Parts: sequence; C-alpha cells; structure tokens
Amino acid sequence: MNGLPMPRRVFALALVAWIAVPAAGHGKGTGLIFVSNEKTNNLIVIDPKTYQVVKDIKVSRRPRDMHFNADHSKLYVACGDDDVIDIVDVGKLEVIGRLATGPSPETFALDEKRRRLYVANEEGSSLSIIDIDQNIIIHEVPTGAEPEGVFIAEDGKTLYVTSEVGDLVHLVDAEGGHVTQDVVVGTRPRRFAATADGKEVWVTAELSGEVYIIDRARFAVSGKIEFLPPGMRKTDVTPVGLVMTRDGRTAYVTLGHAAHVAVVDVPTRKIQGYILVGKRAWGVTLSRDESKLYVANGFGDDITIIDTKSGKAIISIPVGRIPWGVAIDD
Amino acid sequence: MIDAAHPARSWLGLRLACNAIVVAGFATVAPAQSPPQPRVTIGYVEVAGDARYEPIIAYGRLVLKSRERPFAGAQVALDEAQALSRVLKTDFALERISAQSPTHVAAAVLRARADHGIQFFVLDAPAEAFKPLADAVKGRDILVFNATAADDSLRRDLCAAEFVHTLPSLAMGMDGLVQYLASRKWTNLLVLEGPLPDDAAMVKALENSVKKFGARIITRREFKPGTDPREREKNDPALLSAGNRDYDVVFVADHAFDFARQVSYHTQRARPVVGSIDLEPAAWHWTWEHNGAPQVNSRFMKLTQGRHMESADWAAWIAVKMVVQAALRTRSTEFAAQRKFILGEGSFDGNKGLAVSVRPWDHQLRQAVLLAAPYEVVARAPVEGFLHKTNDLDTLGDDEPETPCRLNK
Repeated sequence: MNGLPMPRRVFALALVAWIAVPAAGHGKGTGLIFVSNEKTNNLIVIDPKTYQVVKDIKVSRRPRDMHFNADHSKLYVACGDDDVIDIVDVGKLEVIGRLATGPSPETFALDEKRRRLYVANEEGSSLSIIDIDQNIIIHEVPTGAEPEGVFIAEDGKTLYVTSEVGDLVHLVDAEGGHVTQDVVVGTRPRRFAATADGKEVWVTAELSGEVYIIDRARFAVSGKIEFLPPGMRKTDVTPVGLVMTRDGRTAYVTLGHAAHVAVVDVPTRKIQGYILVGKRAWGVTLSRDESKLYVANGFGDDITIIDTKSGKAIISIPVGRIPWGVAIDD
Repeated sequence: MIDAAHPARSWLGLRLACNAIVVAGFATVAPAQSPPQPRVTIGYVEVAGDARYEPIIAYGRLVLKSRERPFAGAQVALDEAQALSRVLKTDFALERISAQSPTHVAAAVLRARADHGIQFFVLDAPAEAFKPLADAVKGRDILVFNATAADDSLRRDLCAAEFVHTLPSLAMGMDGLVQYLASRKWTNLLVLEGPLPDDAAMVKALENSVKKFGARIITRREFKPGTDPREREKNDPALLSAGNRDYDVVFVADHAFDFARQVSYHTQRARPVVGSIDLEPAAWHWTWEHNGAPQVNSRFMKLTQGRHMESADWAAWIAVKMVVQAALRTRSTEFAAQRKFILGEGSFDGNKGLAVSVRPWDHQLRQAVLLAAPYEVVARAPVEGFLHKTNDLDTLGDDEPETPCRLNK
C-alpha cells in the first residue's frame, strides 16, 4: 500500500494538510495515457508518441474509474476492493493520498467548485458524497442495488445515477442528498453521456444491448438505440462505455463482448458504423482534440487506439490485467 | 388434511417472518400518510425434515457439505427489489411456509392461496411432492417455481402448466458437461455408478447426452460403497478403474458422495474425474466472475454471513426476480398479466450471460450451465461451437422435438 496510512475520519485534518502541499512540477498537458487495471492493481502510463509504457503506478486494489482535477495536477482513481479513491500526483506519477468511500467504489463524478466527489458504491447500494478537502463522507444516498454510472449536471445541483440491478436511473438532488425521481430503462443500465445541447442524457443498458435516451426536461425516456455489428449475435452486444464529441454530432459506444465500438450520429440517432476492437471493450475516452479514441479491452488485457477520422484502429497496446478505463492528460 | 403440525403457531411465525422481510421503500422518500401500497407476496414452501438438507458427514462428525435450504437466495432477490418497490408503488414480500411432509405441500399451497391470496410460490420440495401439487393447482391462478428438483420426469412426464422449473434439469446439466468433454475431445468415458435411484437417473441422463454430442461410455461399472475386502472389486476405485480399455475421463454418479470423494488420485490411470465431484455441472457457482456475478455472490454472502451461493440458491433467487420483473415490465399487479409475461416474452438477467427465459413447451427456464471445479468455473455451457438454430441455450436439455411435454400446444 505504498506505506501510506489508509484514511480514517479522525485523521481528516492531518490529511488535509498533507494533501494541501502543492504538487511540484505537475505534468500539465503531457498527453500521457493512464490505464487502470482491475486485476493487477496498477495504472499503466503510456507515452502518447512512442506508445511505450513509461510508468507502472501501484495503487490500491481494483482501480476502475479515473478523473483529473481541473488543472490536471491530480488524478483520482476509484479502487473498488479497498473502498478508497487514490489520489495520484500527475507530475510525480505516484499516489499521494487517499479518500475513503463506501463499499466497492466504481464510477464517480467530480465537482471541483463545491469540492465534492460523488461515488457509486457498487456493493453498498448507495452513492457517497465526499468532501474532498476534509476527506469525509458527508452524505450517503440510498440507491437501487449496484449503482454504477454517475453523471453530474452542468449546474452541479442534480446527479443521474444508474442502478444495474434495479434497471433504473435515479435523479438525485445533490444538495439535499436524496433521490427525487426514478425512470425505468433497459436491463442493467451502466454509464452516461450528455448531448452537447444539454437536452438529453444517454445511458447504456448492458444486458438489453441498447442505449436509452432520457429527455432531461421531462426526465422520461424519449428513445432508444439498438446495436448489432455484422456477424455478431444480439446476446453478445453488451454496451457499457460511451462518449460524445463536443460538437454534439457523434457518440461512441463500446459494445463489450461484441468487441466493437459503435459510431452513432447523435442528431439522427443512426448508427454510422462499427469499429473492431478487443474482447469485452468497456472503458472509452476521447483525446481533447477528439482525433483519437481510446478503448480498454477488459478480456484482452490491452487498449486499442482508434483514429476517429478514418474510423480505424491504429494500435493495440498490452497493459495490465483486466483494463477498466483510460484517462488522458491532455 | 392439515398442512402443518401446529397450524396456528406456524402461521403466527410466518407473519412475523414476513413482516421482517417486507420491502418498504426508502427512508429518504417522505412516507407521509399515503395509503398502503399494493403488495405482491411470494410463498416459499419447504418441507420439514427434508432429507436433502441433512449434512453430508464423513467418518466421525466431520461435515463435508452442510447443504442449506435456498431461502436466502429468495431473500437476496427481495432485497434487490427495494428500489423498484418505490418506483412501482408495490411492496414485495416473502412468506415462508413449512409443510409437514412432501404429501402436505399441496394443501399448504392451497391454504396460502385461500387465506393469504398468495399466487406465486417458490417450491423447495423433493420430486414426490409434485404430482399431488400439480393435481391440486391444475387450472388455478397459481404459478409454482421449482427451485430444487432437477428430475427430468417432472419436465417430461408430469408436464404441468402451473410450474416453472428454474433449476436446470438433470438433462441440461449432463448436456453441458458432455459438451465440454466433447470440446476437449475427451469422449471416452469410464462410468462408475452408485446404488441410489438418483445415481441411476444421472447415468441415464448421461447416456442420452453422450449420444447427442458424440461421446462414448467405454465401460460402466456399479460400485458398492464400503471397505469389505471380499467386495473390493466393487468398492476400490483402483480396481474399478482397471481394465484394458483406456478412457479419457472417469464419470462418477454418487449422490451419497462418500465414494466420489475417494476416486480422484486413486484411479488406475491418471485421468480427471467428473460428475458428482471435481467437475460438476451447476446452475451457479461462488467463483463465477463474469456478468455481474461477483456482486450477486457478495450480497448473498453478506446476508448469510459467509455461505457460498449454490445452484438452488440461484434458482430461488431468479424465481423471485422473475416475479419482480414481471411487475416492473407489465406495470401491473394483476396475476394474469404477470404470468403471461413470465411464460411468454419475459427474458431475465440471470447474471450468467445469455438472458434466461421460459421454454414454452415444458416451462423449463433456459439458461447457461456452469461447469464448476471446486475453485473455478472451468467453462460455461453452451460451449462455443454447440449451436442451435434459434437460441444456443436450447442445446442444453430437452429441445422442443425431444420431449413429450407440449404445454404450448
């Protein structure tokens, strides 16, 4: 555990002081590619030009979702089997602190303005609201079983949270810390992306092989998209990850066991094509300039980098075991 | 006929148990003075003193298998329904009902229907309870989920429309196992068969699977558990596995288990053992790592304080889940609509890959079979390459043309 003490609430003050030390020479805009690996408990860091592994950062057990803070000096990593979020110094490429969460944190959203983290606790049927500076859980919101995706609205006041077992999307009042509405979607809903115009939230439904579209004003399902890459069986199509381009035109959806990424025209909701990637493709990230798409292949122990212009895979790079997601420092 | 030894006391006990596990929504949602929500209650019917749950004990008091009732599986599914309970404005509850013997099951079910309006039942009873129950519920507005009896005859010959079999049939298990053996080209089998009727049924199912998937039983021998030196030809695994004809695997059918556990490492040739030990077909296994199974296992272990979730637990779990899903997807608390959904278009996430659904011809739940070693699921059947024209899951067990049961006709 890198010799770091695990967070305890009583140590909160001490930890504040410790974290508050400014990270010297952090690597802003290095372009480095960070991959979390569920089974090897590490982040593999890849150089964006040479595609060589430049660093193997040991983190707490079962690292999954990752988010940078605004200036990219820190990378937060949810580690499911130790019930913590590790804080990685992006300049030093090492763990410099930890935040305690509920049981089995999987994905989370970061609100830097309010200095809060919202974490879905997969095995706790709850969403933890964490005060980043004090390192305390300030509120625990009960959700349906196996909460997963967390999306925070632009104003920071509302959250969308999926319950994988409940087939639900919860609307959560971030201030009050409670569920205000629920909407039923497809089987095993996973993750979110919002359209650029802010009118819709898309959510993947892994088992029913669909993306559900939620009209945010009405908080109701306004459509759905089904996927079937050529030559695949419907039952292999297990969409999980999705990202959208800033111009509001294109969405990329990873199809899990079907080993493809679907490219969707957002305004028409039409599927434009499928790109072959690796086995159990889940985590997906766009580079800042949106020229490259990074896909974590959970059962291939590698990531695939796609050139978005040509829609072709450029390279697959071996990482750790069961890669979950990719974060880019750009 | 009375369904329990102390009816008054047992019903009181039931009500208490029931109250303890009713799902009541979240504290965060203002309870206010809203009228009580409609409630769907699922009966869990078990048989007092069911011999299937006596622990398997080695010499002395060493417990090899503790064999617990799958009630906890049903409870986990009820816990999962919490959030939906709020959305659907419907409470879900489980009521545990104990029948004095297998023959008392039918009366217990009818009474729960008459006195408490229960229409869905998870049945935890041995095969002999089924015929009287099928006669009693015939044509009634009752649906019984069989979570613990694998007997093929219940699907083929009894063939009752009021049942759904959520546990895989024996035939499905054997088909899955033989698919795997065939995929490895381990097609020559030495079969060691125990003295129990269940052992014979297992071998009968195996014979059928072997024919289906191109394997062969090279030698078949009956064993007799014991240490009598005069009968060593029948009780010594080394002698039982000797012979000129080579085999790829040893298949042991031994529900008593004491012989089976002494076969590995005692065979004449170095061959893997399958069947009742080492590589067993199962509906579920605590080491299954995919399809969200770790979370299900983890919820189960938490509830039971550390017990591993087993096949019957899964079968009880999915039964309750199917009822909850029926309420969700039909947006109805009407039994007829829910029954129609469950038996028809309903497809459910069983956390083991391909969605599970009810076969219209015999009401068996089509599902993957896990081929489980003690610490790993070695493979999941249908094994890659075994294809079916409509749904690969129907390569396991009785496909429509293979069974005399015609509930869809």
